[in-house]
Amino acid sequence: MTNAPKQFVLLLEGVNKNFDGFKAISDLNFYMDEGELRTIIGPNGAGKSTMMDIITGRTKPDTGKVEFGFNTDLTTMNVPEINRLGIGRKFQTPSVYIHHTVFENLLLSLKGPRGVFTALFSRTTAEQRDRIEAVLKTIGLSDKAETLAGSLSHGQKQWLEIGMLLAQDPKLLLVDEPAAGMTDEETHKTGELLLSLEGKHSIIVIEHDMAFVRQIARKVTVLHQGHVLCEGTVDDVQNDERVKEVYLGRKKKEK
Amino acid sequence: MRLFSKWELIAVGAAVLLMLVVLPCLNAFTLESSWLHVSNFTITVYGKYLCYAMLAISVDLLWGYTGLLSLGQALFFALGGYMLGMYLMRMIGDLGQYHQPIPDFLVFLGWSTLPAFWKPFGSFPFAMFMAVLLPGTLAGIFGYLAFRSRIRGVYFSILTQALTYAACLLFFRNSLLLGGNNGFTDFKFILGHDTREPATQRGLFIVTGIALLLVYLVCKWLTTTKFGKVQRAIRDSENRVMFSGYSTANFKLFIFVLASVIASLAGVLYVPQVGIINPSEMAPDKSLEAVVWVAVGGRGTLIGPILGAFAVNAMKSWATRAYPDMWLIFLGTMFILVTVFMPKGIVGLPAQLRDVYKKLTARKMKVEPAPVAANGEEPLPAKSE
Amino acid sequence: MGGGKNPRPFLKMHRTLKFLFSLLCGIFSVLAVQAQDAAIREKLSHAILAEGAEQPKLVGELSDTGSKIVREVLVAWTRDNVFLYDADTVKIPVLLEDQTDADGKARAIRIDNGKFLLDDKKQELRFAPTELTSADTDAALRTVIQQTLDSLALADPDPDARENAVLKLGNSKKLKNIPVLQARLAKENDLTVRRNINEAIAMLQLGDPDPKVQVAALQQLAALKSIGSLDMVKSLAESKTAAPEIVKAAKLSAETIGEHIAAVNFFGTIFRGLSLGSILLVVTLGLAITFGLMGIINMAHGEMIAVGAYTTYVVQNLFGSGFAFSINLPFSFFGHPLGFGLHLPGMNSTGWFYETYFIFALPLSFLMAALAGLALERSVIRFLYRRPLESLLATWGVSLVMQQLFRMVFGANNVQVSSPRWLQGHFTLNDVLLGYNRVFVIGFAVLIVIGTWMLLTKTPLGLLIRAVMQNRDMASCMGVRTARVNMMTFAFGSGLAGLAGAFLSQIGNVGPSLGQSYIVDSFMTVVVGGVGSIVGTVYAAVGIGTSDQVLQQVTGSPVTGKIVVLVCIILFLQWKPGGLFSIRSRSLD
Repeated sequence: MTNAPKQFVLLLEGVNKNFDGFKAISDLNFYMDEGELRTIIGPNGAGKSTMMDIITGRTKPDTGKVEFGFNTDLTTMNVPEINRLGIGRKFQTPSVYIHHTVFENLLLSLKGPRGVFTALFSRTTAEQRDRIEAVLKTIGLSDKAETLAGSLSHGQKQWLEIGMLLAQDPKLLLVDEPAAGMTDEETHKTGELLLSLEGKHSIIVIEHDMAFVRQIARKVTVLHQGHVLCEGTVDDVQNDERVKEVYLGRKKKEK
Repeated sequence: MRLFSKWELIAVGAAVLLMLVVLPCLNAFTLESSWLHVSNFTITVYGKYLCYAMLAISVDLLWGYTGLLSLGQALFFALGGYMLGMYLMRMIGDLGQYHQPIPDFLVFLGWSTLPAFWKPFGSFPFAMFMAVLLPGTLAGIFGYLAFRSRIRGVYFSILTQALTYAACLLFFRNSLLLGGNNGFTDFKFILGHDTREPATQRGLFIVTGIALLLVYLVCKWLTTTKFGKVQRAIRDSENRVMFSGYSTANFKLFIFVLASVIASLAGVLYVPQVGIINPSEMAPDKSLEAVVWVAVGGRGTLIGPILGAFAVNAMKSWATRAYPDMWLIFLGTMFILVTVFMPKGIVGLPAQLRDVYKKLTARKMKVEPAPVAANGEEPLPAKSE
Repeated sequence: MGGGKNPRPFLKMHRTLKFLFSLLCGIFSVLAVQAQDAAIREKLSHAILAEGAEQPKLVGELSDTGSKIVREVLVAWTRDNVFLYDADTVKIPVLLEDQTDADGKARAIRIDNGKFLLDDKKQELRFAPTELTSADTDAALRTVIQQTLDSLALADPDPDARENAVLKLGNSKKLKNIPVLQARLAKENDLTVRRNINEAIAMLQLGDPDPKVQVAALQQLAALKSIGSLDMVKSLAESKTAAPEIVKAAKLSAETIGEHIAAVNFFGTIFRGLSLGSILLVVTLGLAITFGLMGIINMAHGEMIAVGAYTTYVVQNLFGSGFAFSINLPFSFFGHPLGFGLHLPGMNSTGWFYETYFIFALPLSFLMAALAGLALERSVIRFLYRRPLESLLATWGVSLVMQQLFRMVFGANNVQVSSPRWLQGHFTLNDVLLGYNRVFVIGFAVLIVIGTWMLLTKTPLGLLIRAVMQNRDMASCMGVRTARVNMMTFAFGSGLAGLAGAFLSQIGNVGPSLGQSYIVDSFMTVVVGGVGSIVGTVYAAVGIGTSDQVLQQVTGSPVTGKIVVLVCIILFLQWKPGGLFSIRSRSLD
């Protein structure tokens, strides 16, 4: 599989990461095609969040190769640089600017120059407004444009954050437990939203909620103790003996 | 986007009129015996407050708008003061006690000629240039190091405090050739005018007022730009800003340098009005005081720091005279009460009272207000496996 | 150099014990001393009256007595202050009192029995110096007297005095002093003094005409690592006239001694650094708990230290003459001036009981500061748990108020806290000076750290504290009474600050702004160690303390050293922004 002539939008090879002796990621190999919607599941502590941290530059891996798009090495770049390459990340707990309006939240996230001086002298163009209107429509917050983000409901904040990612028009979207804390209806809507993005963006979704995973999943990767346990469709994965062992084994321990 | 709302325009206009026209005129053109007369002392005191207001704005730019609580702004204030102080010392010429062409303290330390780095300070433009360059550079280097390694929150506060503490120790040393303990004083002339003349003081007062107005306008403009939005976004959720592709370090560095220069200019205007600058101006306590002005006035606004600087200092000068033994207790108690019970300061008081009133009436009507989802509260993720 | 077994070296290292010991001995030895004195006086007057060759011999015999009277009289003799009174048949040697009357006359003290000279009617006689003939001396006799004086000093019962005498002779550059020293060496039992005598002899032998003796002396000095002889050895090493083998040996010795001095300086610096680090540690440990674990930036931490220090002061006064203060408020109530005051009577204790006040002051300091901390937590801090930056401002207000209160109660000036005797003084270990208070500081710091660590890891309260500090909400859900735990934790942290204060009162001034001088340093220490890590604080305190001392040595100025340390800390945080032991958090922000 290594050195395949094929170009991957994201490639992690032989990645290792230790935290004070705890192996968070060990020999992780992960490949993703352009436009793919990939779901990652795995028990707590399987290394999902650490993997996201490594891709987005929040954590530097000890060893290994992390490449994006056409062989761009991510390990030497910092968070904003990686983001500007076109990798957007949504956190598990909604992180939006609570003292800004929904409109401003999106405006700050719009694709465009990120320098200090452009920020000082730039003005909002009509084109940018249109773009923001479009995103607002996609996330269903058109009527809340002038509301302070802090006063949105939990689910709305989650959508706003997804909207902020969309405003950036990233090539790769990393979405961490988007359904956490949502009602069933909200969860379903979120699933549809993600599905509608498939093809236009490459998306990685981390999720625990198996109903939600069934709704959106094409290909599922199971992480366990910092490396890939198995990959395949939802059914494949659910019938895999090793996966059962990992999850059932955990359950036994819990009781 | 409009810079000012209507009432803001009226308030700012009235304040400008009062400070820049009415007070100086009442000082200059009324008889001393008249009840309308504003004494020279009052002009000097208010001039001092105007400088403090500028310093407070610089603190607020960092704390209220960017979430960076700097406990070292007094350092930049004092540095600016020292730069102009060096010019003022040169202007004394040989009128000092030793009647030598160099500052008295240098004579005292056994110097007979001017040290090389003192020479260019005979020029006012050079002193002004240094008053921008030195604090700006120091803030630039310190900020670069601090923001690069992502020092934030409390850590930033403690580090800036350590910085000003170190500088304070340094300036206390005679071997720095900046007057040691006593600093600079006994100034005679500024740009050819006698600093002890009421007319000069009045002029300085007006210049300070204009400077404060300009600083206010620049900051006001800044808050409306996208930069201002990013700034506040950094305050509320720095990680989100970074994950939106902004190098927050650069933004913070810019604002830190800008704030240091504003503080330095305030110091430049302060020194000729109070007539002294010494290392105690950069003691950690001074920076904390400036932070308190902002807290009392209301942070995250531009009117707040100005109000706070005036209110706290006016109260301080009253209390030190009325209760020389107790004023620290008053002041300390006030800080405690304000931080605990008035987190938004004087500016936020009307809204706070309105809330209290609403709560009271709501309780009377026995209607429970709808619970607002607390920020950052993390619901337990649903597990279904 | 073997001195056999005897208690002296042991005593030398424990002056405290010696003090108690001599106190006991003193009582029993008074009587014996009186009898001895009479015999010595007899001998003295005999020697003064003697003639010819017998006189030097008699004077020389006095050198073994080790008596103060002998020294006094001999010194007076060389200055022509010993007079001979002509009684009818005999001459009586006398000294004149220092105190003279209006006529310039003084009473005469008989050397043979120490009583005043009386006439037939038992009246005290008074003389002017000119009325009496002084007992004359010649050059030869003066030499003998001087030697006797030296030997006397060498025979002094106090080892410190003996050491001084040895040192004086060693630096005299007079070869004739060698036999005197050698004579003493034969009798000397104290190991330290023996070593010093050997050193002094070798130093004198450097001036010996025989090159072999000189070389041997040089080797001896090198073996003794004699710091005092370095200048002499160096001048020999640079001498143009000395024989080459001497120059060579001198160079070698100078090198050895130089290395020894470097080592002594090094260990001295390390020791002072350790003790400074310990002070820093004791001062910071409370902060490591309130700031590190609770996230409260307590700017009034310094004042908690001052509470401890002032408590020590009050306890000291209660053991002494009592304590009182009164405050007049600048307000009046219907014409009555308001004010309050307090008078606590003292126990007027003295001696060893007074010395123990510090033992009582320690727990009380902890208690008082803990109570102050409790009050602070309940009244201010509990509103600010989610607003750390604002806790900084509010507690700064508290700090201003407390400083002013100190001024009102204890005055604006520093107050005097005396160290118990057992914390004064020092001992030397291989030429490194170790002050008792510094040793105490280090031991105390170790105890406090161990205590804190035990409390946090081995007790149920510690478990609760750690739980609440890690996740306040979760702990609350689990039924932990978080408010109570917060209160206890803060009180404990403040109490530690109080202990630090008791402790600082022993090594520095106690004043209203005592705490201010430590506050910046202590916050830096916690940050360098890693917020939330007690172990980190320990390492950071010791590290900062030691580097501070080392840099003071290197830069030659305490202020420059301090500035360099601060700059280094800022740079260090570039490398490890989370401090030495950073606690990794998985959550965002």
